[in-house]
Order: sequence, then C-alpha cells, then structure tokens
Amino acid sequence: MSMKQLLFRNLKQNIQHYYLYVFALMFASALYFAFVTLQYDPSLDAIKGGVKGAAAVRTGAVLLIVIVAVFLLYANALFIQRRGHEIALLQLIGMTKRNIFFMLAAENVILYYGTLIIGILVGFAASKLLMMILFKIIDIPLAASLSFSGRALVQTLIVFSVIDVLMMGMNHLFLKKQTILSLFRTTSTTEAKHVSVWNMVVGMVGIILIGSGYGISTKLFSSDWKSVQGLFMAMAFILGAVIIGTYLFFKGTISFLFHLWRKQKDGYLSINDVLSVSSLMFRMKSNALLLTIITTVSAIAIGLISLSYISYYSAERSAQNYVAADFAFTDKKDAARFTAALRSHDIRYRETIIDVIEAPTDISMILDIADQSRLQFQPSAAPLSVISDTSTGRIDVKPNEALLTGYEDLLRQFLPFKETGTIRLEENGRMVPLHYLGMKKDYYVNYHFTYGMPTVIVDQTMFDRLQKETDPQKKKVHIGIHLTDETNIERADQLFQRMEFSSIADSRLMMSRHQKQTFGLIMFVVTFLGLAFLVTSGCILYFKQMGAGEEERPNYTILRKLGFTEKDLLGGIRRKQLFYFGIPLLLGLSHSYFAVRSGWFFFGTELWTPMLTVMAIYTACYSLFGVLSVRYDKQLIRKAL
Amino acid sequence: MVILEATNIHKTYGTKKNLQEVLKGIDLRVEKGEFLAIMGPSGSGKTTLLNVLSSIDRVSEGAIFIEGNNVVAMKDRELAEFRKRHVGFIFQEYHLLDTLTVKENVLLPLSITKTPKREAEKKFAELAAELGIIDIQNHYPSEISGGQKQRAAAARAFIHEPSIIFADEPTGALDSKSASDLLHKLQQLNKKRKTTIIMVTHDPVAASFSGRVVFIKDGQLYTQLYKGTETRQQFFQAIMQTQGVLGGVRP
Ligand SMILES: Nc1ncnc2c1ncn2[C@@H]1O[C@H](COP(=O)(O)OP(=O)(O)OP(=O)(O)O)[C@@H](O)[C@H]1O
Ligand SMILES: [Mg+2]
Repeated sequence: MSMKQLLFRNLKQNIQHYYLYVFALMFASALYFAFVTLQYDPSLDAIKGGVKGAAAVRTGAVLLIVIVAVFLLYANALFIQRRGHEIALLQLIGMTKRNIFFMLAAENVILYYGTLIIGILVGFAASKLLMMILFKIIDIPLAASLSFSGRALVQTLIVFSVIDVLMMGMNHLFLKKQTILSLFRTTSTTEAKHVSVWNMVVGMVGIILIGSGYGISTKLFSSDWKSVQGLFMAMAFILGAVIIGTYLFFKGTISFLFHLWRKQKDGYLSINDVLSVSSLMFRMKSNALLLTIITTVSAIAIGLISLSYISYYSAERSAQNYVAADFAFTDKKDAARFTAALRSHDIRYRETIIDVIEAPTDISMILDIADQSRLQFQPSAAPLSVISDTSTGRIDVKPNEALLTGYEDLLRQFLPFKETGTIRLEENGRMVPLHYLGMKKDYYVNYHFTYGMPTVIVDQTMFDRLQKETDPQKKKVHIGIHLTDETNIERADQLFQRMEFSSIADSRLMMSRHQKQTFGLIMFVVTFLGLAFLVTSGCILYFKQMGAGEEERPNYTILRKLGFTEKDLLGGIRRKQLFYFGIPLLLGLSHSYFAVRSGWFFFGTELWTPMLTVMAIYTACYSLFGVLSVRYDKQLIRKAL
Repeated sequence: MVILEATNIHKTYGTKKNLQEVLKGIDLRVEKGEFLAIMGPSGSGKTTLLNVLSSIDRVSEGAIFIEGNNVVAMKDRELAEFRKRHVGFIFQEYHLLDTLTVKENVLLPLSITKTPKREAEKKFAELAAELGIIDIQNHYPSEISGGQKQRAAAARAFIHEPSIIFADEPTGALDSKSASDLLHKLQQLNKKRKTTIIMVTHDPVAASFSGRVVFIKDGQLYTQLYKGTETRQQFFQAIMQTQGVLGGVRP
C-alpha cells in the first residue's frame, strides 16, 4: 500500500469516526467567521446606546477563539493518543517517525482546512442570520445586509492556522516522546481502582469547600464586608473553594460513594451496575480534572447567559419602573404641549397628575438592619417622596397610616425593610408617627423623584397639611400620560421625540428600547459564547465517552457471549451516560444558581423566569451529547457479537 | 437422552469473493451428562465449532437442536436468554471484565437468576476454595496471572450450575497441578450434577478426563474415541496415538 493510499484510507476512517470533531471545528470556524464579519460591518456601529457594538463583538471574538483553541488542542491530544496503536504499528513495519509525522500532518491539513473552508462558507451564511437575530433582539427595525469581508476571511484563516501549527507541534512532541512499546500501552489499564479512606477525606473536604463557597455566596452582598477589598477577597474565596471543591468532589466523593455502594453489594452486581457504576469508577480518577473543567465551564456559561438574559428580560420592567406612565413630564406646560400634539393626531389618552413633595422621613424603625450607624444616609431623616392616597386613584390610607410603594429590587437587597412598624414624617418641625402598613410593588412616580427609594403614600388630609407648609420650590408634580389605545404608542413616541422640552420628560418606549439595545447586544455576544462553551464541552465529553466505549468494547463482547442481550446492556449504558453527563451538568447548574443568586439584582428585576429558561435550554442542548453518546455505544454493542 | 444434536454443520467466513469454509459438514450428537472433548490441530475449527454449538455464532448451513429446541430457528433474544440461564462458558481468552473484581466477575451469572445474596455468597466461597481464588477475589483481572484468570473464568462458568458447559482450552494457562484440580472439578460436576461438558483441548492429559474424544481436522470430523471401561491411563495412550496419526501438535 502506498503512502497516499494509506493516507486516504485513514482520512476516510477518521471522518466517519470523528464526524463530531469535524462538526465542532466547522461550528467553531463558522461562529468565529460570523463574529468577525459582524465586527467589520459598519452597520453595527450604527447601534446607538451605551456600548459600542463592534467593541462588544470584538471582545466576544477574542474570548471565542480562546475557547476554540483550547478545545481543538484538547481534542487533538485525545485523538493522537487514541491512535497510538496505529502509530506503533506503522513504526513496526518500518516507517520512521518523520514519515509518520508528515503523514499525520498531511491528513490533518486536508481534514482541517477542508472543514475550515466549509465552516467559513457556513459562517458567512450564518452571519446574516446572526445579524437579523441581533437586530430582532435589540429591537431595531433594520434589514440586515452584509457583504463578504476580505478582512474577516484573512483574520479567520490566520487565527486558525496558528491553532493548526500548535496542533502539529503537539503531535510532533507526542511522536518524539513515545517509544513503540509505550504506544502499544496507551490504553489505560492500571488506574488505581482501590479506594481508600483518603478518598473519603478528600471527598469530604470537597463537599465542605463547595458548601462554604455556596454559604458565603448567599450573603455576599447583604452582609457588610469591611471594604471593597474584603468583598473581592470573598469572591475570590468562593471561586477558588467551589472549583477546588468540585475537583475534589469528582476525585474523592464520587469514587467514594460509588465504592461504598459497591462494597455494600459485596461482589454481587447486576448487569446495570456493571455497565454503569463499575465502568464509571474504572475511569473516574483520570476523568476528575476533565469533569471539573466541564462543570466550571458549564457553570460560567449558564451563569453569564442567565445574568445577561435577566438584564434583557428585565429591560421592559425596569423601563416601566423608571417611567411610571407611557410618557411622563415634570412640567405642566411641557405636558400641555405634548397632549395638544396628541390631540391633533387623534391619539386618545388619559392624564394623571400627582403632586409630589420631598419630606424627611424617619424609617429607622422599619429598616431591617441592626447596625444603622454605618449607613451612608440618616435613616431617621431620609428624604423620601410623599404622595397622597387620592392622587393614586385606587388606594386609601387612614390619617394615621402610611404605605410605602415602588422599591427598587437592587436597593432592597442592601436596605431590607420590615413588614410592619412605625415611620415618622416631619410636620411643622415635629415628627409625626404613622403606622406603617407595608411595601407595595407599584410605581406611581418617576425614578427622578425617588432614585429607587420607596414612595410614601399618606392620607389626603395629611398630605394637604404637609403641602401647605412646604416651600413652593420643593413642590413637584408628576404628570403621566397613558394612551387609551396602546397600538398608538409608536406614533406617539415619534411625536414625543420630535418635540423639545424645557424640563425632564420621559418616554417609556424610548427607555425600554435603550435598555434593550444595551443589554440585547451583551446578551447576544454572551449567548453565542455560551453556545461555543456548550458545544465544545459537549463534544469533549462525547469524545471521551467514545474512547471509553472503544476500550469497553471487549467487555460488551464478553457480556453478549454470556447471553446478555443488547437491551440488557443498553440499560446500563444509559445509566452510565446519565451519570457521566448528568453529574457535571447538575453540579454546573447548582454552581451557576448560587452565582446568579448572589448578584442577580445588579442586573435586573426578575430572577426565576429568565434563569430557569436559560437553564432549561442549556440542559436540553447539553443532553443532546449524552444522547449521541448512548447512540454511539448502542452501535458498539450491536457490533460487539 | 440426547441433549445436543448437530447435523451437517457448515460455517464459512469472509465475503463472497473470498470465502473460507471453516466447518465443512460436521455431525455431532451429545448425550445428556456426557463429558466430551474436542481435539484437533490449531486452526482446524474447534473454537468455531464450539461457538456455533453454543449459539454465540450462527451456522451457515445445518441444524442444531439443544434439548429439542431448534437453535438455528431461534431468535437472538431467545438464544441469549438460553445462554444466560443454561450455559456456562470458559473461553480461550478468559473473557473476564476488566472493570470488575474477580468476585464480581464470578457472581455475574447469578444476578440473572435472582439468587438470594446469602446463597450466592455460599456458592462463591465453596467454588473459590476449590479453585484457589479466594486470595485474589478482590483483585482486578489486570492484577492477576493468566492461570488465575483462567480459574476465575472457570468459577464463573460453574457458579450458576448450568446444564451444559462449553470450555475452550480451560487448562491452557495452568500448571499441571492447577490443571488437574480444574479437570477434577469438571469431572465431579459431570458425575454429580450430570452437567454436560464440551471441552476443546490440545492436551491429551486433559482429554483423558473425558468420556469421549472427537477429533476434527480441516473442518471435518476425523474420528472419535470412547473411553468405555478403559482406565484414564489407557485412554490417554489411545488419544496420544490418534493424535500422532492426525499430525496435530504434540504436547
Ligand atoms: N471471525 C472470523 N473471521 C474469519 N475467519 C475466522 C474467524 N474466526 C476463525 N476464523 C478462521 O477459522 C479457522 C478456524 O479457527 P478456530 O479459531 O476455530 O481454530 P481452532 O481450532 O480453535 O484453533 P486453536 O487451536 O489455535 O484455537 C482459522 O483458519 C481462522 O482463521
Ligand atoms: Mg481455538
């Protein structure tokens, strides 16, 4: 057989074998190319808002390439090791290491660049789609138009070539280090399988570390660290504790639990146990690092996507909270001009006028904080906005009562309020105690008045007295315009934007758009990075399981000879893959849950819906790789006899 | 009573272009409770024959009846079920699972029959003592010698008290003492429990433990010897002679 024949035969086999690798490479190059194309596209900079579009995408591209590089190098290492046998045989029949290296290199170049080209084409097609998705997410009514970017092509080729060179270098090193004998022994048979008390200790430490990390994370922002430095120390500790804990968990806890379980069986295992637990234990130690990385990566991906989705998801809500009507004004003349414009365009509306006064309020008795001396403000005379119950149109409070409403979630984390108690309002230089009825969610006045702090609702008589003595300078008014028919909102907003106002005026739609653009772009970038994380980690687990399946193939043969059916074996295999894919996923989900919970309020107003959505989607996509693994093993089993 | 009856067994390997006929029409009849040895030169098709008889492999042509069941017509699932419950195997390559300890390997067939744990434990202790694998019961296959693996494999074949045992070179890796221990064990199972045993071997000493030796050559039945009333020594001599004529590998 000539070298060329050998090469093509290998190639054919490898494509069959590693179709997922080819797919992953294609996916990675496509994603990268799409990102770079977007980055060079001028229309992205047209996006208004806080973040520059191209900058965000560029950062994403850099991170993406790091992930891809690590993945490709790791996969390459797996594959070359898997082919140790073949390489040793080639050496035995007289090929030199040089020959083999060039053979591998030629094989690699064809496979790699072939895939890369296809990936780039797919990426070009996808970039338009991505652009459309992006525009949809950030609510810009623009048609996506993209041209093929030569710069993007060159950049993609260069970056991936560098990775390829690294891969070849790795193969070269691998060949140089190995002897024929050691190559024949590449399959691992001598993993330490006996479990000691040491495992238990290690496992316990792992669980304790994870637990303490979680514990601190739950009160990361509510408890008062002495300084910002302290806060960072706490964060670093959580990160370190959880990651190391995860590693020890895999290395010790899992092995130990399995060991206990197996010991209790005392040698008497069912076929399911044989194929799941024993098989997992057999490879657990060498897998510990990999599973830790996968867990961490999953946790990071889920966490980041969740947070960005929380921001995006909350954009509308927070716009609603910031602007307490479709349009809000602080000056009667401005409002009159705007309503005139509305009327001339036949847009019907309802107007609410709420008088607002700022009064020093004593909330020290209802603040749920023991030590109030370190607060940045005087809780006994906090400047809160006060409105009357009749002006809300639907609430009634008695003269000696007060209700609080519209408290921002972020602040609530730092300044929690009690359920009931007494607050005091200054009237005629005297503090009048009022019975505090609790906290409502509704927002009646704009953020400009409250800065996130709750608004006090008092009885009309009380309000009138307060207003009488207030300096006219401190009297403010909130004028809310509510459209009767929400479908007119676009037209009304256009009118609003065309007008100039002498005082602060807000449009809820504009605010919501602005928020969505900022967070939508971030979410877009983060989600695709997360997707890359997902695909690469899924692929790596799949490759690992392919290798393990290959190693276990003789076992499948034996079991089938002994009379176990394909169905018998498949049950065990399913359980094994459930563990193998499920444990890192569960742990990753749990990590990300605690991470998100510790700081989600910085990002938005809604935790559960967006987080659970992200988790569900991630789990579904990730499970796909588990299903693929089972399918692969199924084929192995079928062919085993 | 006939437990196994094979008629005109053919087995061919390979593709249409490159056919290799390994079994060329073998007829074999095994009585219940018989201890049968199969001998023949290397490559003559012994393992292949054992595989088709034990339903691990399918014949290309011919009929096989085991306890009146037409094996050739049976579905894979039924065959597997049959093997699981009624057949014991000792393979030429041991075939222990490398992920399990010796004890777990041996107890594996019992998990199917739902034998109570105490009983399983008792059976294991007994067998392990007889086959000398107690000290290594918690070792993994990669940690024990070839002979130890073979004994473990034998224990696995015996533990669920199958009605028929197929053994391929069960003594190939054993020293003469261990070999004769194992053969005595086989003989004892055969006599006490009336277990049918079909054993492939190269070793005339091993073959002399059986009641009948079938010689195959080039995929065909060459001849057979019955022990009858002869002593083992006499039987051994007869086997040696036939083997000489057959031109097999002399031990
Ligand atoms: N799966 C297979 N595919 C193709 N040919 C096979 C296969 N199995 C066995 N053979 C061929 O069948 C012939 C008989 O093989 P078999 O293993 O039955 O011999 P054997 O008598 O058991 O030899 P030994 O004493 O060395 O174990 C050999 O020539 C072998 O090459
Ligand atoms: Mg053989």
